[in-house]
Amino acid sequence: MTVHEPGRRLMHSVSLKFVQKKVTGGGGRALAAGLSLTSMIDFLVVTVVFLLMSFSASGETPVDKRVKLPEAENTLDMIDAPMVAVAGSQILVDGQPFGNTRAIEDSKRLQRIEELFNVLKSKREVWKQLHPGKEFPGVVVLQIDQDVPAVVVKSVFQTAAFSGYPNVSFMVGNIPKAGGPAKAE
Amino acid sequence: MGGVDVGGGGGGKRKLDSEINMIPMIDLLMVTISFLLITAVWTHMARINADAQVPGPPREVEPDKVEPEKQLHVEMRQPDKFVLIWKQGGTVISTVDVPRKDNVINKDGRKSIRYPELATKIEQEWKSVGAHRDAADKKFDQAVLHTDNETPYVFLVGVIDAIYHAHRPFNVAGKAEPVPAFNVTFAVN
Repeated sequence: MTVHEPGRRLMHSVSLKFVQKKVTGGGGRALAAGLSLTSMIDFLVVTVVFLLMSFSASGETPVDKRVKLPEAENTLDMIDAPMVAVAGSQILVDGQPFGNTRAIEDSKRLQRIEELFNVLKSKREVWKQLHPGKEFPGVVVLQIDQDVPAVVVKSVFQTAAFSGYPNVSFMVGNIPKAGGPAKAE
Repeated sequence: MGGVDVGGGGGGKRKLDSEINMIPMIDLLMVTISFLLITAVWTHMARINADAQVPGPPREVEPDKVEPEKQLHVEMRQPDKFVLIWKQGGTVISTVDVPRKDNVINKDGRKSIRYPELATKIEQEWKSVGAHRDAADKKFDQAVLHTDNETPYVFLVGVIDAIYHAHRPFNVAGKAEPVPAFNVTFAVN
């Protein structure tokens, strides 16, 4: 059996060409639309380049739902470090609750938060055991709600510093600079 | 289909024209786009740095006494003005008042506050008094933020942001990059 080219089969027996064309539906606009490969590839390449430029390998930093972060212009890129969040009156270290800020808010006095101090100190010890001979970076990132009073901020800051984390970073939303997109490194 | 002409074309020899197969190429581009779109992070978080001036462990041999450096103290205790004070040890070198206008911008429940006059004034002060300006200088000028205990955190971030407006060059891997001119810390009282 011979192999035939795919296509329309019916009404081929009509001998008059103009009749055959009419009854087989020929002469109408073709249903198959052509696609310009050059412009399509150009588009795909531009999309790939744009996405690669804006790609971040570090991924998204988890932010507690109860924390609304303020925004700032002169910011640095995020780093991988222990995350201390102050959500409501609760203190979370890497998502786990360790202490609260009620005592500070009630007394309105700067004080060390013992539970936070102990957990940060133990994290520091673990890091030193895992990286013997390396200098401890002492970086901690604070996720603090925009309405938290300064006495709580200063207490958390001081507790982190005394537990061996003197380089404290405040996590903020990034807003573009008015003068241009230049970003401090 | 698409091809790349690399010249030549002598008769009888192997063809120098090589063709790129379009179907796997388009597949590859599509898969790359899909991967990048799925892993894209659209919300960009950043950080502002602060440095706690914690004394180190006691040393057996105390170093020679060095002259204390000038520090910029930024007072934000009053509702109508900021006070910028340059101090060297306990000695006040200069004092400048900057009018304070709290323009809180609330966008989708997220607040931000800008102090452009304060940022400009701090930059001017650093240009006239700041000690560490050279790109090779590893030290930074110190700014100390004084605030009362009730001030909401968003206002602190606004002032720290204004302090970090002043930039200086700093050598990073042999290349001078603009970095904030100050290190910021909090006053305890």
